[in-house]
Amino acid sequence: MTDTNAETEAAKAAPSRLRRALDSDLFYAYRRSPVAVVSSVVALLLILAAIFAPLIAPTNPFDPASLNLMDGFTPPMEPNAFTDNSFFLGTDDQGRDVYSTILYGMRVSLFVGLAAVTFAMVLGIILGLLAGYVGGWTDTIIMRAADVQLTFPSILVAMLIFGIAKGVTPVEYRDQMAIWVLILAIGLSDWVQFARVVRGATLVEKSKDYVAAAQIIGQRPLTIMLRHIMPNVLSPVLVIATISLALAIIAEATLSFLGVGAPPTQPSLGTLIRIGQGFLFSGEWWILFFPACTLLALALSVNLLGDWLRDALNPRLR
Amino acid sequence: MKRLVSAMALTSALAAPAFAEEFKFAVTTDPQTMDPHAVNSAPVLGFLNNVYEGLVRRGKDMTIEPALATSWEPIGDGEGWRFNLREGVTFQDGAEFNADDVIFSYERASDENSDTRSWFAPVSEVIKVDDFTVDIMTSAPNPIFPDSIANWMIMDSGWAEANGATLPDKEAGNYATLNANGTGAFQITTREPGLRTVLEPFDGWWGEVEHNITRAELTPIQNPATALAALLSGDVDFINPVPIQDVARLQGDPNVNVIQGIEARVIMLGFDHQPGESEAGQGGADIFQDARVREAVAKAVNVPAILQTIMRGNAEVASQLVSPAMRGYSEVAGAPYAYDPDSARALLEEAGMAGATFDLKCPNDRYLNDEAVCQAITGMLAQVGLSPTLDAMPVQNYWPELRADNFDMYLLGWSPGTFDAEHPIRFLGSTPNEEKRLGSWNFGAYSNARIDELLPMIQSEIDDTARQAMLDEVATIMQDEYAYVPLYVQPLVWGTRSNIELTQRPDNFFILRWVTVN
Amino acid sequence: MLSFILRRVAQSILVLLIVGAVAFSMFRFVGDPIDNMLGQERTIEDVERLRAQLGLDQPFPVQYFRFLQGAVQGNFGVSFRQGREVSEILLERAPATIELAAVSAVFAVLLGIALGVFTAIRRDGWVANFIMSASLIGVSLPTFLIGILLIYLFSVELGWLPSFGRGETVDIGGWSTGFLTATGLKALILPSITLGLYQMTLIMRLVRSEMLEVLRQDYIRFAKARGLSDRVINFRHALKNTMVPVITIIGLQLGAIIAFAIITETVFQWPGLGLLFINAIQFVDIPVMAAYLMLISVMFVMINLIVDLLYAFIDPRLRVTGS
Repeated sequence: MTDTNAETEAAKAAPSRLRRALDSDLFYAYRRSPVAVVSSVVALLLILAAIFAPLIAPTNPFDPASLNLMDGFTPPMEPNAFTDNSFFLGTDDQGRDVYSTILYGMRVSLFVGLAAVTFAMVLGIILGLLAGYVGGWTDTIIMRAADVQLTFPSILVAMLIFGIAKGVTPVEYRDQMAIWVLILAIGLSDWVQFARVVRGATLVEKSKDYVAAAQIIGQRPLTIMLRHIMPNVLSPVLVIATISLALAIIAEATLSFLGVGAPPTQPSLGTLIRIGQGFLFSGEWWILFFPACTLLALALSVNLLGDWLRDALNPRLR
Repeated sequence: MKRLVSAMALTSALAAPAFAEEFKFAVTTDPQTMDPHAVNSAPVLGFLNNVYEGLVRRGKDMTIEPALATSWEPIGDGEGWRFNLREGVTFQDGAEFNADDVIFSYERASDENSDTRSWFAPVSEVIKVDDFTVDIMTSAPNPIFPDSIANWMIMDSGWAEANGATLPDKEAGNYATLNANGTGAFQITTREPGLRTVLEPFDGWWGEVEHNITRAELTPIQNPATALAALLSGDVDFINPVPIQDVARLQGDPNVNVIQGIEARVIMLGFDHQPGESEAGQGGADIFQDARVREAVAKAVNVPAILQTIMRGNAEVASQLVSPAMRGYSEVAGAPYAYDPDSARALLEEAGMAGATFDLKCPNDRYLNDEAVCQAITGMLAQVGLSPTLDAMPVQNYWPELRADNFDMYLLGWSPGTFDAEHPIRFLGSTPNEEKRLGSWNFGAYSNARIDELLPMIQSEIDDTARQAMLDEVATIMQDEYAYVPLYVQPLVWGTRSNIELTQRPDNFFILRWVTVN
Repeated sequence: MLSFILRRVAQSILVLLIVGAVAFSMFRFVGDPIDNMLGQERTIEDVERLRAQLGLDQPFPVQYFRFLQGAVQGNFGVSFRQGREVSEILLERAPATIELAAVSAVFAVLLGIALGVFTAIRRDGWVANFIMSASLIGVSLPTFLIGILLIYLFSVELGWLPSFGRGETVDIGGWSTGFLTATGLKALILPSITLGLYQMTLIMRLVRSEMLEVLRQDYIRFAKARGLSDRVINFRHALKNTMVPVITIIGLQLGAIIAFAIITETVFQWPGLGLLFINAIQFVDIPVMAAYLMLISVMFVMINLIVDLLYAFIDPRLRVTGS
């Protein structure tokens, strides 16, 4: 889902000049906000856990040869009835250690989320700058393309790219392919809000005297766009990017529910939740509960951070 | 205003007063048509068995019993079968049933536009002897013909002609797609495709009424968790299937009953027997052309462990392409492949295939827990030194992939429509032959000359002992050659509210006239 | 002004054509409809014949052209799955989605504005801060999981609300409504909360920040200085002035609610357009998929068009840059 909220709010933040001293102001505000401190610590811990998953996780759930099916459905901290093995957070239907799958799954989720947001951001900034600065037909084409993009729910974009990619990739790359398809699909459905905010801010900046001055002294449009306009639109972009990251992680989970997510042999948090929801009624609550809590902690901390960042970067709210 | 609202409520289809014997049932797939000849699929035929009837029908134990025909006998030396029709039967619109309707239904169901055409491949001619006698002539002796037409449903010729539905129309649909007029125990009063279908008992039914339903409503619910919630909360009285993992929980709930059985469907692994490159792009010859590799797969897969965990002990190991409940099941080939990972590893070493990469295709929404089973198999094959890649996909992408030969190994479930061991031989065991319509689901092109030779002999053999000997021979050949690796017989799990009594038939058809609401 | 409108309308039509073309080019990747239309005893010959009858053997530009030809005349073809006119099916399913979307929107707007105003007035209160943080939980879990958890709690454990469907509906001139029966109203509760939660959070946050901004303005300070009561200031002056951006967002989000009802309808087996679309994907029902996508596209394009025209009307500067 596109975050129109962030878009409009960030657009309002756009006119604020990027002051050199912003960093210290920001840090001061950060220290004063317990929510910001706690959520950034949680987010950082989770991100570190994901990065160092191979070192922390007791098993590698992505290696099929290491799994013992008979370990399946072991409750947390209890020995398995057949194998007598015991697992910290229990095991899932394939006998995978839930704790390890969460760590590895978070890697997939975070990677997909970060890559998708970066992709959307780069694409959105470039197209937004072009649309706003060049104007005319370039603007029309880009903004109508944005309309087309908004029309397609991300699930359709994902299916489209999935289908095409399937036709052109050899089988041994398909597992990895699913991840790139997700990145592309989520990124593609997200660029519009970046583009719109950047375009709006660019339109405003363009009419200001300093841009006119730069034009008069003969600076090239590219230089003006990157040197002068872009720094002024970065703070709303940063806010959107943070909130988009949370949205992208959730979007990946939703796509997984609709069957176009990460493959079950290399599950993301979303895939784990999709698998786990099948065991909600049967009593194996841990297969759903722990991945869901992790996703909640991750998305919530990133969301809170983005929320705080938006207020902190908007001087009129201070 | 209040009066207006209540007046409108009366006209609504759903606002009928709630009867004590109202029965609500939910299935995963809505029957896509009400035309009994348009689509040959279990959801459609299973549902329409409540509305339409055939000359014969299957009883609670799957045996063939009289329906619109009261008796039948072979003609001469196997030139055909004579059916004596039931008199005094009327269709739900009041028209009388007679031999003309049978002839009409034969022509309709065997037409090019019908999906049921293959049932009539052995038929050369259908002759009306008199108003209540019909001869169905076959081109070769066909001992199992009456078994093979249990789902051939009889439609009224006058009704079809009057409504412009003399032939099924798969593309555009016609009157018979949305309406039904059978001779069965129930008639359709409301049909809203994909939403609900309401049935009420047909007062003029010829048979003896066992059920006490006054109104039944079918709702498709796709999401298994939603269906289960609906059953647990009492919003529906019946769901099919119950997710395997929830069986134990439902068994502990006093308001709910679980009815379990063994389905006719055998789940198996198939191989690419054709020469050519491996799909995983290793460049070499196909690894599964080597029987030792197929044997290694058979020994590497720990079926009992899969059944113990993923299937929660609700399924049985299969040894051949049909379950023991089927006619012609081979006792000789009754021993399943044994789990022996060490020997599998040795076989792979011997064949020089250790570490070979290949691709395992699997549907993820077709069979019970199909994806989880494939995932487990991937792990087991990795443990004996193979390197499989699992490629799971929804069924609408699955069949095109298999048809395009984009696989090294694949998962398949097969339920013999005739409940006879000959059926899978025809579709899975024969060398593919488009002209003779053989081996049309034999995606891997498994081929054995002796099996091709035996099939026509099995089809026309009248003597049961001789026929069984040939079926045994085929089953043994396929087992020895590791043509397929049969895994297990898919379990059948239905869930009902505890005040419902019903009978579960192994073909997973839900028969409303066996339901009692207490 | 007129030329601006005409240009925007022409652009919108172009957008629709592109959406259609993209949609048609992707259908063949969704799967093969034939397998669902024929049973297990079909032959390859049967498959080829049916494919030709459906026109699926044609290249996609031809299929697309045929679709456009029909669509212009309001004929979207016949569903592969149901064998009925697609337009008939869409009309039958639309009331369910529209009612669900409307209730979700009302829920989101009312609660969103109320909480937004509250959190803005009590900016530093702990209740307001709690609401702000808690509201993020709702958008930090995937919709399908929220739906399933709601079903589990309110249908299975507590038994208060139905687990699926629309309950009893009343037919008024072809429009089936769930508003007139008790079961119909009860059935709306869980799906509309699931669907509206995201928008509710969105509106609440927007109202809050708009309110905070407006409350800083000089005229509000002036009103305070004049001794007007807080209530009058907050609701008569401040809230009124926050409404313009809020209404814009609501307009834009209404389209999103309908488009993204797909997930909620799947979880709750809600017989609307989203469920129809998911089923169409499952059975590769190309005519239904195409018609649904066009419908959603038209809706989005219309909303975009109206918003743009309104902006142009309000702010002449944008009109200049836009042309």
